[in-house]
Amino acid sequence: MIITETSANGIVIVALEGRLDALSAPKLRGSPPVADPKTAVVLDLEKVDFMDSSGLGAIVGAAREKGDPACGIVLSCMNNKVRRTFETTNAQRLFHIFDDTSAAVDFAATRQIART
Amino acid sequence: MSSIITLTLPGDPLFTEVARQTTTSVASLLTGENRSASDETQFIHDFELAISEAFTNSVKYAGEHDTPPTVTLTFEIEKRRLTVSLLDANSPFSIDTPAPDIESYPENGYGLWIIRKVMDCVTYRREGNSNIISMSKTL
Repeated sequence: MIITETSANGIVIVALEGRLDALSAPKLRGSPPVADPKTAVVLDLEKVDFMDSSGLGAIVGAAREKGDPACGIVLSCMNNKVRRTFETTNAQRLFHIFDDTSAAVDFAATRQIART
Repeated sequence: MSSIITLTLPGDPLFTEVARQTTTSVASLLTGENRSASDETQFIHDFELAISEAFTNSVKYAGEHDTPPTVTLTFEIEKRRLTVSLLDANSPFSIDTPAPDIESYPENGYGLWIIRKVMDCVTYRREGNSNIISMSKTL
């Protein structure tokens, strides 16, 4: 899995590409912006080919460790394969999910300002 | 009339992808008979997901070994139905796991729940020292 970090409007965007499974989930959990409880992250899932419960667990676990779980990780560009894994577990209820990354960044930035 | 394919793999996480890709290829054999493309795509993906969960669990609970134990996949292909069985020599387990308590943000414990949600039928039996979990779905 390839992890690319960029930023916009003061928010870190972590874009994932490839398979998010038991082999790659630890890499995501160890990614500094994802692991840092104080950093709000937009997770761009558009190029995730496959995600099983190990990948889901990595995202949910990282969100739990954020100060504000529902806003600490904001999800964008979720494709049907990824959506299936979220919806079979109801995990989509835990997150704000946007169809495009710029809207997710705007939301995360607004929430960050509201907290400061 | 059905066809049977058997594949034995090392119980190593590196081979999860082989299990997944093989399952995708086998599930694709059932498609292409005027069913909707979205149903076919969902059918293939659900098997890919279920086998990834089952194989990952098998590797996870195999414990420490100098040589990885094996995991055997058996594919039973019927006209509209696919059954994939996974055999390992791990300790017995139950497939009747509760739904994950999602509000507590759990990091683990989703695998068997997902398998049961995306398959039509999931059974478990113990034969000698082996676990056999069978997962079926009709297209």
